[in-house]
Amino acid sequence: MLKKIINGWAKHQVAVTLVFLAFLILYPVLFHSYYLRNVAIQCLIYSLLSLALNLIMGYTGIVVLGMAAFYGIGAYALALLTTKLGISFLPAVALAVVITFCFGVLLALPTLRIQGNYLAIVTLGFCEIIRIVELNWVSLTNGPFGIKQIPAPDIFGIKSIFGLKLSKPEGKYYVVLILLVITVVILHNVLNSRSGRAWKSIKGDPIAARAMGINVFRYKVFAFAICAAIAGLAGAYYAAYTGYVDSTTFNYNQSILILSMTIMGGLGSIPGSIIGAIFFVILPEVLRWLGTFCGEWIVEWRQIIYGLILVIMIMFKSDGILGGFDLRQIHLYNKLVKEKEAEEKQNG
Amino acid sequence: MGETVREAVLHCENITQRFSGLVAVSDVSMDVYTNEIVGVIGPNGAGKTTLFNDITGIYKPTEGKVFFGGEDITGMACHKITAKGMTRTFQNIRLFNNMMAIDNVLVGLHTATKSGIAESMLHLGRHRREEKESLARAEEVLKLTDLYDYRYHYADSLPYGLQRRLEIARALACHPKLILLDEPAAGMNEQETTDLLQFIRKLKSMGNTIILIEHDMRLVMNLCDRIYVLDHGTRIAEGTPDEVRKNPQVITAYLGEEV
Ligand SMILES: Nc1ncnc2c1ncn2[C@@H]1O[C@H](COP(=O)(O)OP(=O)(O)O)[C@@H](O)[C@H]1O
Ligand SMILES: [Mg+2]
Repeated sequence: MLKKIINGWAKHQVAVTLVFLAFLILYPVLFHSYYLRNVAIQCLIYSLLSLALNLIMGYTGIVVLGMAAFYGIGAYALALLTTKLGISFLPAVALAVVITFCFGVLLALPTLRIQGNYLAIVTLGFCEIIRIVELNWVSLTNGPFGIKQIPAPDIFGIKSIFGLKLSKPEGKYYVVLILLVITVVILHNVLNSRSGRAWKSIKGDPIAARAMGINVFRYKVFAFAICAAIAGLAGAYYAAYTGYVDSTTFNYNQSILILSMTIMGGLGSIPGSIIGAIFFVILPEVLRWLGTFCGEWIVEWRQIIYGLILVIMIMFKSDGILGGFDLRQIHLYNKLVKEKEAEEKQNG
Repeated sequence: MGETVREAVLHCENITQRFSGLVAVSDVSMDVYTNEIVGVIGPNGAGKTTLFNDITGIYKPTEGKVFFGGEDITGMACHKITAKGMTRTFQNIRLFNNMMAIDNVLVGLHTATKSGIAESMLHLGRHRREEKESLARAEEVLKLTDLYDYRYHYADSLPYGLQRRLEIARALACHPKLILLDEPAAGMNEQETTDLLQFIRKLKSMGNTIILIEHDMRLVMNLCDRIYVLDHGTRIAEGTPDEVRKNPQVITAYLGEEV
């Protein structure tokens, strides 16, 4: 069943992508409620975060546990750049991306030289340090009160285009949609290139990768820094989206949520990461919604139902929904098999 | 022309490799010339693989020097040595099992291409051109190794013999100056070994220079121009297959086994 769906999807990859994209573009036209638009924005933000983690974990094979650190740095960077320095949204986002990229490099340089999964532990600690800094460096971050009145997204001062107000949910929605589309295109390009293959080969066998002339350390550092930069992008957008940041958003639970999305969606799959993000954003909302029909018990039992669904999913497919499915490979493989069959028929 | 001294592609000078007390390779010297097939044989644990690791930069030799194309590459990083034109296969197959056969070969072309991460992200001109050229070369290599029909298979879904061949294809892709094969016939049946023998001959006729670690004596004696014999880390003999076969020390090392 799943196999059939995947085969069909692989065959009509472009069409499926376009239909999904069309749906995303039309979403605010189809759904007018404030609530549904905000849920969709959450889905897209977490898609960015889950994709970021997938690059380092799913493709390069390095476990990272503290994704919230870069999410938070990106958010605080944008908050400070816009409120304290008066820089407008787009350049502030670009700067936030550069800043988180640099943090990624600085963290990767000392830790990635060591064998083993030290980065996982280090990022976990780093995440906690960043949170404590955010909380206690009051003169910069306003401590527990957070940073308020962060301006909504704009395009160099222009606050609405084609009658679309960028400060309203539908405007904000299109901003994050564009950021996500750009990120997916860039990731798709790089993953199907010399560098992408280098990352995958490091996951496959780091010693053989070295023997093939790949500077393993350098590629790991870049994978990690790009992962940090994408998380920073998500954070920067998040700050402008909510207009308010404080350190409680970027804690350990946030990191684990992102990790769950990436793993559940499927390591090494771009659509997987997006599905994983949507799944984890929507699941609690669906349960809350069901509660209005089935009674309060479902809300009270939410956590348990949540856990149960996860356990069932893991039993059904432990490597995530799209784990182990490379749509490009499946498409090429099926085509090759068909060609061979046709050839055999002709000969015999 | 014929009078000039042939310069060695590879020149190893008194290589010693110690692992905290254990001497895996002891004072081994070796030369490999252009378009030669040089065999390295010896009982299990003789230090053959360790010698390969010292040459390719996986290990840094404790003592001694390695020259490649006249350049001192002792202790140089493995990936830099590869970029200079030396590739290898592994005794225990080390393919990228998370990738298709053709992508495995494309990784073998890493050193033959230059485009960086940013160029690929933005799909710029050099990236596109290199992708096209790499793909053409990868397909050529897959055809040469009779793996073309398996190009979109995951590496680990291939039968054992083909996996061995894919490793050679991957090592061959970037037109290396020297290829090191570590027991390419290990685990192969009679027919597969015969195919491999013919294939390595073909590689030589195409101008390749090869060092070969092998236990299969039929393969070694049929293929190699010269053979080095290691035992307990030391070089106990060197010469043509006929010379080596008659060497009493070699016969002792192999305990009277038919060499
Ligand atoms: N990394 C290592 N650490 C410690 N000992 C090693 C290491 N690599 C190889 N050896 C030892 O060196 C000796 C030679 O091994 P190897 O080169 O693999 O032999 P061969 O390939 O000739 O069978 C063996 O005794 C082996 O246990
Ligand atoms: Mg060995």
